[in-house]
This record gives sequence, C-alpha cells and structure tokens, in this order.
Amino acid sequence: MATEQVDTDLEIPAEARDVRIIDLDFHMNPTEDQLIGYVEDDAAREKLSTEFGMLPRKAKSDAAYAIPGGNEGLFTQGKAEAAEDVKLAADKFAIDEPIVNVGLNNTPTQHNPVLKNAIVQAANDFALDQVIPEDLYCLMMVPQWDPEHAAEEIRRVGDEDGFIGAYGWFGPFALFGETRFDPMFEALVEHDLPLVLHGSLSMWPQNTPVGDNMLSWTEMLGLDWPVFAQVNVANMIMSGLFDKFPSLNVIIEEGGHWWIPFLRYRLDEFYEMHPDDIIIQPRKHEMGERRLGRKPSEYLRDNVYVTTQPMAPPERTRDTKQMLEQSMAEDTFLYSSDWPHQTLDPATWAFRNPAFDDDLSKAILHENAEDLFGI
Amino acid sequence: MSSNEYTKVTTVDDVEPERGMSVTVDGIEIALFKVDGEYHAITNRCPHQNAPLDKVGEKKINGEKCWNERRGGFTDQPAVTCPWHLWEIGLETGEHETSGKRVSVFDVKVEGDDVLVKV
Repeated sequence: MATEQVDTDLEIPAEARDVRIIDLDFHMNPTEDQLIGYVEDDAAREKLSTEFGMLPRKAKSDAAYAIPGGNEGLFTQGKAEAAEDVKLAADKFAIDEPIVNVGLNNTPTQHNPVLKNAIVQAANDFALDQVIPEDLYCLMMVPQWDPEHAAEEIRRVGDEDGFIGAYGWFGPFALFGETRFDPMFEALVEHDLPLVLHGSLSMWPQNTPVGDNMLSWTEMLGLDWPVFAQVNVANMIMSGLFDKFPSLNVIIEEGGHWWIPFLRYRLDEFYEMHPDDIIIQPRKHEMGERRLGRKPSEYLRDNVYVTTQPMAPPERTRDTKQMLEQSMAEDTFLYSSDWPHQTLDPATWAFRNPAFDDDLSKAILHENAEDLFGI
Repeated sequence: MSSNEYTKVTTVDDVEPERGMSVTVDGIEIALFKVDGEYHAITNRCPHQNAPLDKVGEKKINGEKCWNERRGGFTDQPAVTCPWHLWEIGLETGEHETSGKRVSVFDVKVEGDDVLVKV
C-alpha cells in the first residue's frame, strides 16, 4: 500500500491558492500596552492607564459555557497582536487579503465618550503606524456614538492609504436610519468609504426581561445579532438613507445572511401595501418626498452587503442553490472568516460544495469586495 | 512495509503525544493520535466543515496569552476536539454525538518501533 506523511500548513483545499480570497472580517487584537502609547489626549491616557484598563468587560455570557472544558470562544485560533501574526494566520486559510479591524468590539460598551473617542483614535493611529505599512488593508474605527466627532475622525484619517472602509457596530441601542447620523454618512460618502457594521458585544441581550432569560449561546450568537442586523437594515432603507446618500454602501458583518430573502419580500409587500407614512419619515420629510425612490428590495441589492460567516448552507445542494439565488448572493455576499473566533469559517465550501459555481464563488470570495472597496 | 492488512505509517518516536499527525494510506487521509499512551486513527477531516484534525494540539498564535494555549484538544471519552470549532469526535466511535455525524475509525497497532494502521 502507498503511504505518505502529510504536513501542510494550508488547512483548506489546495485550489484555494489559485483564487484571490478577500476576508472582510479579520480581527486583530493589539494589547492595551500597544495601544495606550497612541492615545493623544492626556487626560484620557491617564485614566486609561489605571488598573481598570482600557476596555473593562461587562459581565456577559461566553461560548465557554457551551463548550466542554470551557474553551474560550473569542480566541479559539489565537491572537494576532502584530501584522506578522495576521499574515501567518491568513496563510493557513489561503486568505490573500485579510481586511483587518483592530477588533475592539467592546468599545461601544464603555461608558465615557471621552475615553471611547480616545480608544478609537489610538486604534486608528496604531493601524496607520503598525499594520498598513505592512501591506495590509484596514478598516478605520468610527466613533458612531458621536456622529459629529465620527465625521471629524473620518476626515482625519479617511483618506489615508490602506484604510478602505469605516468600522462601526450595529445593535439595539440606536438605529442607523436616524437623521442624527447624517454628518457621519456625509463624511463617509465624501471619502468614498463603505460603512462596515459588526455585531457589538454591547448588544448581547442583557438587562432586559427577554434578554436576561436568553441563556444559550445558540440563541445569543445565533439569533440576537441577526435580529438587530435586520432591524437596522430595514430602518436605513425605510428612513430614506439611501435616497439621500445613493452611493453609500453598508456591510453587515456577522449578522447572518440567510435572512435576506425574508426581508426582500416582506419589506416590498408591506411598503407597497401602505406607503403613506414615508412622507413623515424625518429624512424624507426634510427632502419633501412622499415615497422611497425604489422598492426596498432594490436598496437591499444595491446598497447593502452581508458577510458570510458562518455560511452554514443546507445539506442538499438544490436547497443551497435556491437560498443563494433568493439571497441575491452574487450581488450581496462578501466572504469573511471571523478569525480567530469560535465561528471561524474557512472558505472550504467554495471549493467542495457544488452549489457554489465558479462565477458565484469568485463574486463572494473577491469580486464584490474588489468593486466595493476598489482593491 | 505491511503486516497482514496493516500498513506501517510511522514510527513511535515520530508520534508526538497529545498532537495530531496526518498520514495517507492509498489516498485515504488519516489523523493519528497518541492520547494517554493509546494510539488512535480516524479520518483526518472533521465531519462538520472538513477541518484537518491533525492540527489538534498545534500552538495558537500567541497561544500563551489565551485561556487555552493550543488548538482543539482531547477529552477523557476519549475524543478529539476539532481545531476549528471544537466539535468532539469520539476516537473509538468516530461519532460527533450532537449531530450524529461520523468519520471512519481505523485499527492501530505497534510492532517494535513501527506504528501500523489497518485501512
């Protein structure tokens, strides 16, 4: 019998090396010691240097309760603290372009806006100083809790080479269709930056009658983020955000993707049935327009994107094909790995699942991202 | 070198305890483990998403700063825990209990310094 010892660093099919893979959700985790030196505000640096730390975590459930042995979920694959760590990790999964975010998803949970703004400024300058010069693309963090300051931060660093989009967080505390966010959107459009919204640790259901009884990881990560992803997308569409900013593109990260068919047909059905309240949507009222410019589903196809991790396709190929078609995947899906978290999604499905033909795989793995980010 | 239907895949000195090792026999990719002194061989692909199980026990990037320094692991069942999503695959059954999905389990024996697998 023929025997062979195999020792390859590549963890997905070898043909993945032949296709450009752009990964929209790659988390880097610089240490607090790395970041603190970049905080410019003296008072903020003094307070962030205390034993309390930069990003104290509110008590929350963790995947550890759902995994025998209490394995942590956030760092199942490790921690990338430096650009070379990112490259090493990406190579295992044939990821050519990891679009790095500095991974401070706990930032929206922090209380003090001065401190939060300082953390964002430090993270962006860290990226400019230590990540982008190593030929990695990054998303700038955007301090969305203060839309005027967010606009200032976008204008401060948004034109820097290497920053290809802005990174914020969707959740239940605010809806991005609110007009108070318009200064931020104006700055994004001005700098041709798509807005990438990731689920935030802040929006795990806590301190609500329903949320406090959501005790399984399956409910919390499986459902909670997608619910608020849909609510935010619908709000952006129905408030006329994309009528005011037609070139704005929004990417929902880790909020699920198979809900697109539901939203696509349901919003069109309800809007076409009763559209007469559009004139009193604050933004549409200000614009003096009685209707949306297009059907809700058309904004969904043209202005909204979703990342795919975890792809979680149905077992049967024909079912998967139907869902991909109904989800307008060729226009809306962007590959994401979520390295190094517990829901890591190497792109194996693109090379082993017959539901993904070459054209669709290319669109998801790189073409949509190339068009969107100009890379 | 083969003995009956067994095929030599490596030597005992080359098998690192609590780590995965991948070998192929006639094109079949097998993960070999030595756990608590016992050798185990199963299909080298997790039934969930085809993760290579031989990566179990590999040190994570900056693993010394994580709760668990290494990827995946082993349980007393005995089971191997997948390096990607921590699915537990029984080393004697090949089964992932929650999903009911299975991979193949292969007999392993040691003759002298040789480790042999029956495919």
